[in-house]
Amino acid sequence: MNYFFGVNNNIFKSEIQIPRFRNRSLKTSNLKLFKSFPQNNKWIIEEVKEDLSNKYFYLLKKDDVTNKDIFFLADKKILASFNNLKLEHLNDFTETLPAYRSNLKIFIEEGGFSSYQSEYPHSMTTKKGSILSAINSLANTNADNNFIIIKNIFVDPIEDKFKAYIVNCNSKKIEEEYEITTNYTNLIEINKKLIKHDNFLYTKGFLGVPIYISTKNKFVSCEHTHPPHEYILSNNKFKKIKELKDEINEIIK
Amino acid sequence: MKLLNKININSQLFKLLRNKLNIKPVPFSDFNNVNSVSVSDAFLWRTDNGFTTKFKYSDILNLFFKIKNSWVEIHFFSKNNKFIKKEKFYNLNLSNELIINSKYLNIEDFGSFYIYHYSNKKMEEKNVISNRCYLGFSHKNNLYSFVHGNTLAKFTEIFPSNKIETDIVQTTAFQNNNYTIQKYFDNFDKTELFFTNPTSKKIYFSIEDKSYSLSPGCTKLLSINDKIITIRSNCLFLRPTVFSYKNNYYDVHHS
Repeated sequence: MNYFFGVNNNIFKSEIQIPRFRNRSLKTSNLKLFKSFPQNNKWIIEEVKEDLSNKYFYLLKKDDVTNKDIFFLADKKILASFNNLKLEHLNDFTETLPAYRSNLKIFIEEGGFSSYQSEYPHSMTTKKGSILSAINSLANTNADNNFIIIKNIFVDPIEDKFKAYIVNCNSKKIEEEYEITTNYTNLIEINKKLIKHDNFLYTKGFLGVPIYISTKNKFVSCEHTHPPHEYILSNNKFKKIKELKDEINEIIK
Repeated sequence: MKLLNKININSQLFKLLRNKLNIKPVPFSDFNNVNSVSVSDAFLWRTDNGFTTKFKYSDILNLFFKIKNSWVEIHFFSKNNKFIKKEKFYNLNLSNELIINSKYLNIEDFGSFYIYHYSNKKMEEKNVISNRCYLGFSHKNNLYSFVHGNTLAKFTEIFPSNKIETDIVQTTAFQNNNYTIQKYFDNFDKTELFFTNPTSKKIYFSIEDKSYSLSPGCTKLLSINDKIITIRSNCLFLRPTVFSYKNNYYDVHHS
């Protein structure tokens, strides 16, 4: 089961297109779109109005999205049985290959736009861990500004602070430190001096999706980095990633 | 039931049958019978119509395996799969970039390229690495719009050999695999789709009522006006790279 999300702050707005079909068939589903957000340590659930859709897509505009919202497809009966203390796997509709994704378009008002095919798997919400992402992979020294969106979704309706770091793998030093929030679409700005080949974004305690955004003359580019396990396809992937993360944990401890 | 339990549901024969009958098809081959290999996506380059491509890649062997002095080779092909050039890069940083413009390739067009990591150090355990990398596309020197690698295509042994293998993505006998891009193509001035054939087989596909074919390794550009784009093909994983244009702005992403 996948969740979908957007961003809404004083720099970037977003639109989300969520398919009502599985990508190998255009047959549409009767499932409804719901949004949920944490409030006073409980998940609040609301049904998204049907008029925000056409036959094939739910089409969420900028004012339909806040940084706390997560969106998911479910049977209407969920309103009566929703667990407001923990997110649950509700159905397998979004279990597809190729992966079931929304189109998340991030834009500047009166300016450019950029999108990527976006999802946040339920399985990621049940785990704690850390993001590891190479800054230089997507940050752009020729851009006017560089940002990273860090989206975390955690099963419990908590709004806790946790740390994100820019660490240098060679000097073994922390170069920058940020405070971000669980169950939120966080935005951090990356100073150009931090865009180095050996600098990495690292979070402590919670997983998330890092989405890099660069802007220049109102043009926008956004893309997410891959999690480390995408780079190793052999059975030793988790051992190798743990070794690397252990090194970085030594830097930030 | 006991007999069924004895059947390895992941056996090549079983996969072949599932793919032929289109019953829970398995789009990718596995790497069970190979040594340590470096897997490459089929990456798109374009230098046509004022475009420049920026390629960003990591030194995976150093980052994860602490192997120093590894190198990469990047192999460039035209849209007709004609070999253009091969370049080796040594003294890698953890993160590296290459600008691919018409001067670099001596051609204004589009095509595909592949990256392979090599080391002279024999690896003790089996490692299969895949550098998904990132591609930026800049039109007339405007901001690069980035997208990551999209289709696993070829692989070779990390300890240098001359053999490059393909067919990670599987094809089927019939053109019965549908994929609808999960985006509503509304309100764009123009949409371009770039397809690269990641296999050694000829791919046949159709969009709406128009039919196309794509020979092994070839790249094709299609301009599309439909709001819903469904691709019907004999390939189990055929996802084009999308360029969407609106006013002066453009957006590149995988589908």
